[in-house]
Parts: sequence; C-alpha cells; structure tokens
Amino acid sequence: MSRRARVTGLVGVGVRQLVGDPARLAFAVTGVAAAVLAITLLFGVGAGVVETGADLTEQSEFDLWMTGGPVELSPTSIGGFRNPVTDAHEMAAAIESQQGVDVAVPMAFQAIYVSTDGQDFETVMGTGVGGSGPLIELQAGTGFTAADTHYADGEYDGELTSEAIIDPGTAAKYNLSVGDTLHVGGTISLARETTFQVIGISPTFRRFHGTNTVALLLSELQTLTGSAANDRATLISVRLADDADQSAVKQRLTTTFPEFDVRTNQEQITAILERQALVIAGGLGLVAFAVLAGMALSLNLFLSLIYQQRLEMATYRAIGGSRESVLVLALVQALTIATVGCLLGLVITPPLAWALDRAATAVTGFEGLVQVPPFAYAIGAGIALVFGVVGTVLATWQVTRHSSVTALTN
Amino acid sequence: MGAAADRSERSLVTCDDITRMYQQNESRFSRGGGNTVTAIEDISLSIDTAEVVGIAGPSGSGKSTLMHILAALDTPTSGTIEFGGTDIAALSDRERTKFRMETVGLVFQRFYLLQSLSARGNVALPLVERGVSRRERRQRAETMLERVGLDDRVDHRPRSLSGGEQQRVAVARALVTDPALIVADEPTGELDTETGKRVLDALIETTEDRAVVIASHDRRALDRTDRVIELLDGGRRE
Repeated sequence: MSRRARVTGLVGVGVRQLVGDPARLAFAVTGVAAAVLAITLLFGVGAGVVETGADLTEQSEFDLWMTGGPVELSPTSIGGFRNPVTDAHEMAAAIESQQGVDVAVPMAFQAIYVSTDGQDFETVMGTGVGGSGPLIELQAGTGFTAADTHYADGEYDGELTSEAIIDPGTAAKYNLSVGDTLHVGGTISLARETTFQVIGISPTFRRFHGTNTVALLLSELQTLTGSAANDRATLISVRLADDADQSAVKQRLTTTFPEFDVRTNQEQITAILERQALVIAGGLGLVAFAVLAGMALSLNLFLSLIYQQRLEMATYRAIGGSRESVLVLALVQALTIATVGCLLGLVITPPLAWALDRAATAVTGFEGLVQVPPFAYAIGAGIALVFGVVGTVLATWQVTRHSSVTALTN
Repeated sequence: MGAAADRSERSLVTCDDITRMYQQNESRFSRGGGNTVTAIEDISLSIDTAEVVGIAGPSGSGKSTLMHILAALDTPTSGTIEFGGTDIAALSDRERTKFRMETVGLVFQRFYLLQSLSARGNVALPLVERGVSRRERRQRAETMLERVGLDDRVDHRPRSLSGGEQQRVAVARALVTDPALIVADEPTGELDTETGKRVLDALIETTEDRAVVIASHDRRALDRTDRVIELLDGGRRE
C-alpha cells in the first residue's frame, strides 16, 4: 500500500486509456502538432519578411540611404513611377564630395518593356544606376564597362553604352546569356527600336525588388522612360569610407542636405515597414491569430479529450477514486499527447517552412521570406504544452466537480 | 431515539428518516424558480452484515436514489445514514470518496467497465487507488475473476465479452477490495434469465462477512434476497 504504487498504477491506466483508442490518440497528436505549426509557421512568415528586408539592405553594402520622399505611382507617365529625387547626378556628386563618403550612387526604379524578338513585350522592373554603381555580384559576364557617359553633364547627348545587366530570373525566362541582345524601352514603340546588349547576369538588383530586373545606367534608363529632364532618381545610396564614423557622416549629410531623409540600413527598413502599415498590421494580426489559434486549438482539444472520458472518470470516482487521482489519469494523457504533438510539430516545422519559403519565393521573387526564429519554436511548444495542461486541469476539475451519479445516470 | 440507537448497534448500515429532494428545471437565469422534487421521503431502514436485502418498487419510486445514498455517492437532504457509528451524510466529498474506496463495492446496471482495460485491469482498478502493488493487484484480480468463473477471460477487453461476462467482471471489481457493503443497482437489468442467475450467484455467494443490497425490478432476483424493502412514491410501502 504505497503512494508510489498508486501513482505508477494511475500512470499505467492513463497510458492504457490513451493507447486504447488509437484514432483519438492520432487525432489529438495531430491537433497539437497543427497548433504548434500554426504558431511556428505564422511567426516564421512575419519574422522572415523583416529579416529578409534587413538582409537585403545589408547585402547591398551601402551604409546610408538618402531619399527625398516616397515614390509616387504615376500610371499615366512612362515608367509608372514619379521618383522623388531630382538632379540626381549632381546631388550624388555633391554627396560624394563630403568627408567620410566613399561612393554615392543614385538609383532609379521604373517599369520598362522588354522583348527578345521585338514582337512580344512584357514589363519588368528597370533599375538605373549612376556613378560607378553598387558592388555587383556577378554570375556571368561583367559589370558596366563604362561610366554613365550618356549623362554628359546633364545634356543627355553622350554616347549610349546600351549595356544591360539582367538577373538570373530574366535570363532563364527569356533564355538569355551574356552577349545576347534585348529590346528595352519605356514604351513598346521605343523598345521596338532600342536594343541593349546583355553584358552580365547578377542577382544584385533583384534583391531590391524581388522580381525580374533589367539594370541599365541611370541616364540611359532616364532617357528611355522620359525622366531625364529633371534627372530623377528614387534614392541615393551612400557607401562610407573605411574609417568614417557613420553617425557623424549621417549628421553632416542631414545638415548639408536638409531636403533629404538620411537613413541607416536599419532606419531604411523601419521606414519601409512604417510605410507598409497595413502589411505590418496584417503581419501582426497573423502572429496574434497564430497565438490565439494555437491556444484555442490546444484548449479545445484537451477539453474534448477529457469530456469524451467523463463516463470513465465518473466510474473511477464512483469506485472510490479521488479527484486528484482522476487528474493524474488525465494529465498522463494530456502530457503524453502534448509532448508527442509538440515534437511532431517542431520536427515538421523546418521542412514545411522550407516548402512555404520556396512557394513564397516563386510568388514574390524574394528568398527567405519564411524564417522560423528559435523563439518561435519555444513559443509554439510552450503554448501547446501550457494550454494542454491548463485545458486538462480545467476540464477534469469541471467533469469531477459534479457527482458521479449525474454522469452515470444521464 | 432509543430504538434507533439499539438498531444501530446491531446493524452495518442504519438510515433514519432520510429524505432526498432535488431542484428541477433550475437554471442560472431562473434561480429559485425550479420545482422541488422529493425522490425519497422519511425512509428508515437498517441492514446487517451477512444480509442480502432487496429494494423493490416501480420506476420513479426512489430505488436508485436510495441506492446512491447507501453507496455514499449522494447525500440525503435530511436524515442520517450511519455506518459503523459514522454519519456518512455529514462527511465531506473527499471523506465520502475515501469511505467508498474502503467500504463499498458498486455494481451498475450498465457495467461501466473501462474499455481500454482488460478484464483483469478493470477488476484491479479499485486496488490502484489503494496503492496496492502491481503484482498483488494482478494476483487479487485473477483470483476474483476465477471466483466469478472468468479465469479464462482475464486478458479479454470488455467489448469482446458478453453482457453476462461483463457484469461478472463488474461484480469481481466490486468484490476485489473485500468491501463491507455491496450495492448493486439493477445488476440483472440488461441480462437474460440464465446469465442474470449466474451474476446473482456470484454476488450472493460472497455475503458471509458483508451485506449486499440489490435494487431490482426482477422478481427472480428479489426472490434470492433475505428480505425485500418495497418503495412506492419515494416512501416505504407498508
């Protein structure tokens, strides 16, 4: 007659109750795994978007970003965007002359038409880069072979290089390789008459948009899209000299160029996120939904598990079992289901996150949009376990609160 | 008072003027508005050790209510029910649970066996709560199953047993703790005549050191008892 024998006996009965109904066990474990997955994957999506944004900005190897306001959609104009920075070449040169600045690169983004045969055109994102351009990660070919000669001190009558660097997605889609030519223009008629030679294949510019991209020298893109008059660009990216103090340079640039917002990489990401308030709200809503769904799913699952066994529990109470003993019976089942379900959910998370990420990449062009941070695993498992136990205790207490007579005679 | 005390001294269980009333149709939205139903009223009786007592009466006469009170599953609204000098109506829920574990064996009309456990596991279940070791639980359960003629069914799950066999497992479960009182509510209610007889045999053969109370509609079951207490409309039929 020992407490140990009682507890081990109860554990044995609890386990038999559990395995005695394999279908119920399988559904319960699957339910917990689903709750864990709901939390980890939805967290993964939210965290991945932010992380990817930060990674992409860091990968650009720029230290500061200078913008003159938001990019406005302009459906009636060529290119579809009204870029906020004017006199971009002069501004970039002025910025580059500041102490602590190594390179200032004006960049413009515009929608352009492309075709390999001059017949069937599609729109892709055109990126115009000025100055020496950013450091380009090349998969084939070379970077731009000449500076932005067409700019010609603002006359836009210099020689066109007609060089284009395309991203691997564009290369694959149009079966292009280095040396091939591509029709490019801000309008279809202009594109029919204008060809560029592919000199390099690089993923660098795709990282700015997450879509197929054709990069040209800035002045050539401006000419093609009719934005040369005001020398418009989207932003000016700044790479600092090796020994420069980022905050000091930022302060200096802010003072010298008050019409610009000067941001660090992190601030640029924050600014982008702030402009995407609806998206962020949706993301936060998803995370909240993930947590709530996980909690509700776990709670409901374990409430059902216990409620299904109310007759067995009433029987055990009737033959002299205490409420604490019934609780042990229930907790043995709940903890087993919660543990196995949690492990299953955690083990399935990485391959599912990978598959989701592949799907997201196929749709958006950005990689790494689904990244499950370690704390998401902990939160997923924690919620399933805690709410499993809480649900079980509540349900058991509720079921055993009433007389066994009530359960056994109804 | 003197007669009651004298009766209590000789008896295993003594009920004095027990009444059980229920509130019907009362909800949180109509608190106090429910009807009061008197299930049993002013029932007095005593049951001695080694006695087999039948409780008879038509449906709604209060048999089950009286059985639940005798088994300490329920408490009377008024009156006392003494067992070995203790008024079990005054015990807390925890104390009554302990009392049931130590003193009462229960047999239900619908058996109420755990489907996940074997016959042996079901019989051994009350011993788990008592902290009996696994080896002893198995031994005592097998002995008890042998006693009710099911020694070849120890590993069978309830759904692979016939109704009569399931009820005999339930009888073995009630007997395995060697309780002073067996309370059997319609133990043959769902069994055919021959099977019912075997279940009653198993119940009644073990009464030398305990009392057995059997509530039944079945006249043949009641004929096996030492005496029958007839209930009608919640009271004893005179």
